[in-house]
Amino acid sequence: MEIDAVSLTAVTKSFGAVRAVDGLTLAIPRGQTVALLGPNGAGKSTTIGMLLGLIPPDSGKTAIFGIDPGQAVRQGLAGAMPQEGGLIPRVTIRELLTFIAGTYRAPLPLEQVLALAQMTGLEDRRVDKLSGGQAQRVRFAMALVGDPDLIVLDEPTAALDVEARREFWNGMRTLTGRGKTVLFSTHYLDEADEQADRVVVIDRGHVVADGTSAEIKKIVALTTVSVTAVGEVAWLGDLPGVSRLEVRGDRVHLRSADPDATVMALAQAGAVRNLEVTPADLEDAFVALTAKETV
Amino acid sequence: MFGYIRLELLRTIRDGGFIIFGIASPVVMYLVLSNLALAPGDRHTGAIVTMVSMAAYGALGGAFNNGSGIAEDRAAGWLRQLRLTPLTPAQVVTGKVITGVLGVVPSIAAVLLTGVLVNHVTLSPWQWLSIVGLLWAGTIPFSLLGLGNGYALTGQTAGMANIAAFLGLSIVGGLWVPTAGFPGWLRAIAEWTPSNSYAALSWDVASGTAPGARAVVILCGWLVVFGLWALYAYRRAGRTA
Repeated sequence: MEIDAVSLTAVTKSFGAVRAVDGLTLAIPRGQTVALLGPNGAGKSTTIGMLLGLIPPDSGKTAIFGIDPGQAVRQGLAGAMPQEGGLIPRVTIRELLTFIAGTYRAPLPLEQVLALAQMTGLEDRRVDKLSGGQAQRVRFAMALVGDPDLIVLDEPTAALDVEARREFWNGMRTLTGRGKTVLFSTHYLDEADEQADRVVVIDRGHVVADGTSAEIKKIVALTTVSVTAVGEVAWLGDLPGVSRLEVRGDRVHLRSADPDATVMALAQAGAVRNLEVTPADLEDAFVALTAKETV
Repeated sequence: MFGYIRLELLRTIRDGGFIIFGIASPVVMYLVLSNLALAPGDRHTGAIVTMVSMAAYGALGGAFNNGSGIAEDRAAGWLRQLRLTPLTPAQVVTGKVITGVLGVVPSIAAVLLTGVLVNHVTLSPWQWLSIVGLLWAGTIPFSLLGLGNGYALTGQTAGMANIAAFLGLSIVGGLWVPTAGFPGWLRAIAEWTPSNSYAALSWDVASGTAPGARAVVILCGWLVVFGLWALYAYRRAGRTA
């Protein structure tokens, strides 16, 4: 069996009375791009801190490529971009990246890193004189300059505008194309949806859903099938896949976990009138998942 | 680790605080004080005593400034970033201490050169060598105090604590004005300060006598105290970082 790039087993961490991470278990095989999705305060940063060996867990086990995280970082197996900070004044981008590269055994050539982070031509700028988006790309460059097999990014685009976010992910895709394992946290649902092979939703310190974004949408059965219907409509609620029925005027909205089966059944019953199928967006799924336990 | 030292030295020489407190201020003060003839004895002796005082003052400025840098690095998330590289924490601390030790060289050199070129100070080669060596090695306790403050306190507080320690030790230790002019009680305190012992080693050499054992013992005592403080502060910072 191949060793997982990331392995967290029943990891728990409390800060005072607050249990930030509560028995979280997660394994990521090599080569996957995984989004850690959760609202603010869900425990994403604490989970990442423990995974990188920055925060000691109260209990549970953490490993990167089967070894202790701190050791993995020192061997250059993992590179990371914390949520904020890490830039120092009075040095140029070139000086900073050359230094970081020098701490690794087999770093990427500077030109390649600059290209990946889309900073070619900026290398002689002082780090303290960059825009927010440029600074973020320098921090990204610091995470990948050592050419690590695992790259961990904590809310990489939180501080960026839409344009800068798109540029950031363009650079990122080049990287995942090279077989790297990538774990990133985000509270932007569209990012998780578009950028990740797999979405792990965490809330209150543990995993509430785990799968492709399509699977997650399915778990919470949020595809809506609507038709125009008049008269007695309650029977529509018993169709295959339907979990909820809602009538608005002459429109009937059916929430379905299996929209294909629902539509087939509607057709067989001859009830297809102005049929409309609206796929769930991850946002609805997310709200459904993380709201479930508030009751 | 050499890459780290190189990067930190680059940052040091581009730091306005270092240029002002570590180089410009001691050189200017040296020129003013030595020409006011505040120091005892004839003008040439005065120029030598003040040269040592101001070189010591500048070296202290560099040492404390380095310590304040640690607090800034911590606030900027730089120390955490370094923990995400293959560098070990021990390499980072060692690198920072070495940066501090190397960073005081320009301060000492600037004042001594001013002494030679402007005030025409003449000393024998062994005196020059001993003074440079003693001024240089003697900064280690102050570097440790500065680093301890940098680890124990947050950004601005650390900077202020270090400037207070720097100016306080410089003044009470008799680097600005010789302790001979102090009231009795203050002179008694001055004789126990690390800064006074530190400069005394070189004052003795400059006046042609061997460094006093008392100053060596006091300075080494402070070395132990400040070393323990730095170790304690570093460990505590590691737990909360």
